[in-house]
Formats: sequence, structure tokens, C-alpha cells
Amino acid sequence: MKKIPIKISIHGLSKSFGSKRVLTDLDLDVREGESMVVIGASGTGKSVLLKNIIGILTPDSGSIKIDGVEIVGIRGNARDRINRKLGMLFQSAALFDSLPLWENVSFGQMAGFGMGRDEARANAVEQLKRVGLSESDADRYPSDISVGAQKRVGLARAIATRPEVLFFDEPTTGIDPIMGDVIDGLIVSCVRDLGATALTITHDMESARRIGDRIAMIYEGKIVWVGAVSEIDTSDNKFIDQFVHGRLEGPMAGLITSNASA
Amino acid sequence: MEFLATIGRVFIKFLSAMGRLSIFAGVSVSHIVRPPFYPRLLLRQIIEIGYYSLPVVGLTAVFTGMVLALQSYTGFARFNAESAVATVVVLSITRELAPVLAGLMVAGRIGAAMAAEIGTMRVTEQIDALSTLSTNPYKYLVAPRLLAGFLMLPCCVLVADIIGVFGGYLISVHKLGFNPSVYIKNTWQYLEFMDVLSGLVKAAVFGFLIALMGCYHGYYSKGGAQGVGSATTNAVVSASILILGCNYLITEAFFAR
Repeated sequence: MKKIPIKISIHGLSKSFGSKRVLTDLDLDVREGESMVVIGASGTGKSVLLKNIIGILTPDSGSIKIDGVEIVGIRGNARDRINRKLGMLFQSAALFDSLPLWENVSFGQMAGFGMGRDEARANAVEQLKRVGLSESDADRYPSDISVGAQKRVGLARAIATRPEVLFFDEPTTGIDPIMGDVIDGLIVSCVRDLGATALTITHDMESARRIGDRIAMIYEGKIVWVGAVSEIDTSDNKFIDQFVHGRLEGPMAGLITSNASA
Repeated sequence: MEFLATIGRVFIKFLSAMGRLSIFAGVSVSHIVRPPFYPRLLLRQIIEIGYYSLPVVGLTAVFTGMVLALQSYTGFARFNAESAVATVVVLSITRELAPVLAGLMVAGRIGAAMAAEIGTMRVTEQIDALSTLSTNPYKYLVAPRLLAGFLMLPCCVLVADIIGVFGGYLISVHKLGFNPSVYIKNTWQYLEFMDVLSGLVKAAVFGFLIALMGCYHGYYSKGGAQGVGSATTNAVVSASILILGCNYLITEAFFAR
């Protein structure tokens, strides 16, 4: 059987904010072409993990490699070269509210790849159609559309540059279940069409089941379980069992009180 | 001991903020001269800072010139020095009042707007999104604003100089009964190039500081709407204080004997 290469390799990753340790010697490998979903309760380090990978935060120690290239500490053009391989859908979509939708979608192509405005607009319209919006939406502004539509535009922006790796930060947070289903469906189809590797963080188990090939569970800054989506209901891991079934009792009981007091 | 520790903490925090501000300014300035450039963004900021500030700067200047003429006339009349009104108006406007008042007005208008816009982008992850799209936020957001502030405030002040002197002329001629040609002659007679230049240099420095404070406080804002509100207030207050402080230093550099 052919061994699938590792696309993202994270080893010994640690990150603290003051005296608060958020990530502690975290290890995680994401294979090329797979969709990995990292689940975990609020405040366990999911977003910090993602921000370390995309370079918004710098880890205190540890290694992050994409295609075998160490990306911790790289800056300038080297970081830009890596970023051109990446696409990201932010939790709030993070659309640029001073730009029309088409410029939001084609921003990476114009800024990172030097594409002309006419070509970029045509490309943006194509991407908007791909996520279920029409050409007439292209000149609207983010404040003119719903949160669900903003997520669609965020997805269109993330895939516009045909990235090799896609990151999704809580893609279904803040939208209704039906729209969540739509967004998940779009994510799955876009990732499959691009042949990209995907890393999603979420606490929405329905979303995780729909998007993921494999699931990793994070708790107190460490990965405590990794397995196929089909294994989450039959796993004897106490963390995954408590989280999937939403039980108060279990090894993460302390998290409930610490989150409440935070 | 606790009192000394508190002083120490405040001092260290101040030094830390100064260091962070210096690095922010240095990195931002370096991005002004390094490609890629964003001429569309620069043009937008030039229009925002230069063109849209003209009404408020002009109104400030005209009323300041009018009040200055009136005040100096009533003061100088006590020792029969009314003929000095034109000279006092033009020197006060060009050297001090136009750059300082225009700076303070633009700080309230532009500094606050920059801090609010960039602060909102920060708390809504738009700045993070810029980074993931291979776009340096310093180059895209900060550099065009700094350059536009540096270039456009002198233009505003030049206009304010003319309007302010005209305000003094209006009051002097139409209310105080000065001869128009004599007033204009007195205005030009003692005006030197250095008077205007010092005001324009001040304006360039103030424009840079206003944009720097707006961008800096916006860039490091956090905590949602409240954080953006604090950033806006801090941008205006710090820019205003820096304007007044730097005004003295530049005056000292130009005119101290």
C-alpha cells in the first residue's frame, strides 16, 4: 500500500500567554489530501493552534512543517511563499468591509499573484457562483449580505488562489443548522475539487462528521485522541466519549468550572 | 515599597510602549520606500486627509484670523501700535496657529477615523486575513496613511495660511477701517520665507504623527467595541499632546537664537 506523505507536521508545539500555557508539546500530522478536523471545548487551544500554523502567532517552541519545510520563525518573502499555498476561512469570515465582494474574493490573486483587475473580477465572479452567489452580488459590500453569505464569500476568497492547504476556523459558528449544512457541503466539494489538504477546527460535532476524514481531539493544549471519523462513536477514549456525547461527568469536568470562571 | 513598585511598573510599561511604538514607526517607514506600492490606497488617503479636511481646516483658519485681528487691534490700540496688526496676524497664522490648529483639527478627524477603522479591522480578524493573503498589513494599511499624512497636512496648512490671513484682512478692512492696500503691504513687508517654511515643516511632522498615532492605537486595539473606542480616544489624545510638544521643539529649532 502506497504511503501518503505528510502535508503538515507539528511536533512539540508549545505556546503560552503570560503564565497561561495554551499549547503544551502538541504533536499532530495531517496527511496530504485528507481533511483533518480538530475538535475540542472552548479555551482548549484550537484557535491558537491554527494561528500558529498560519503565522499570526509565533510558538514558544516546537516545529511546524509544511511539505517538509520548517515554517516557524520564517518571515518576509519566505513566509509569503508559504502563505500562497494556504487559504483560510475565518470564524467571522473577516471580509474587508471597505471592498466590494469581488475585490474581497480576488484580493489574494491581485496582491499575491499580481493579477489585473479585469481578470481578477472575472475570476471572482466565477468563484462567487461556485459558492452559490450570483454575478449581481459581486459589487455589493459585506455589510449588505447575511452572515451565511459572508461565510460563502469567505470560502470563495479562501479557494480563489487554488491553495494546497485550506484552514477552516469554526466554519458553522453563528449560522443556522441549515446554512451550516450548506457551508459544510461547499467546504467538502471545494476541498475535493482542489485536491487540497484541509484542517478545520470546530466544536460542532455534526460539522466535524460531515467535513472530516480524520478527527483529532485537543484538550489542555495537547492532542489526546486521533482517529477516523467512523471511530468516534466506538472509541473507548474517555475524552472523546465525554465530548461527543456532551456529558458533564468525565475527565474534562474541570474544564467546565475553569471556563465559567475565566 | 509597594509605592515604589507601582512607579517601577508604570515606568517599565511606559518604556515598553515607547519601544513598541518606535519599532512600529520604523517598520512602517521602511515599508513606505520598499515595493510593492499601493498607489490607489495612497490616493484614497490623500483625498481623505487632504481634500476632505479642507472645510474644517479652512473654517478654523478664517475664524482664527478674524479673532486674531480683532484681539490684536484692541490690545495694540492701548499703545498706538495698530499698524502692527497685519504683521502679527500673518506671523501668528503662518508660524503657529495654522499648523497647530489644523493639526489638532485633523487629529480629531483623521486620527480618530484611522484608529477606528484599523481597530475594527483588528478585532474582526481582517488584519489577520491580510497576512494570510500574502499582504503585509504595515505596507497595506499603515504606510499609505503615514505618507499621505506627511504630504497632505502641509498642503492643508498652506491653504489655512491664506484663508487665515484673509480672515484677518476681512475684519481689519471692513470692521476696523484699515486701508486695504496698506494692510496687504504690511502683511508682505515683514513676512519671510522661513515663517511659512517653519509652519509647513511643522505640518509635515504633525501629519506624520497624527497618522502614526491613529494607526498604532488601531493596530494594537483589542477587546471588541470597547477596545476600538479606547484606541480612538488614545489616538486623538496622544496625537494632540505630541503636536503641542513637537510644536515647541520645532519652534526652538527654527527660531531660538
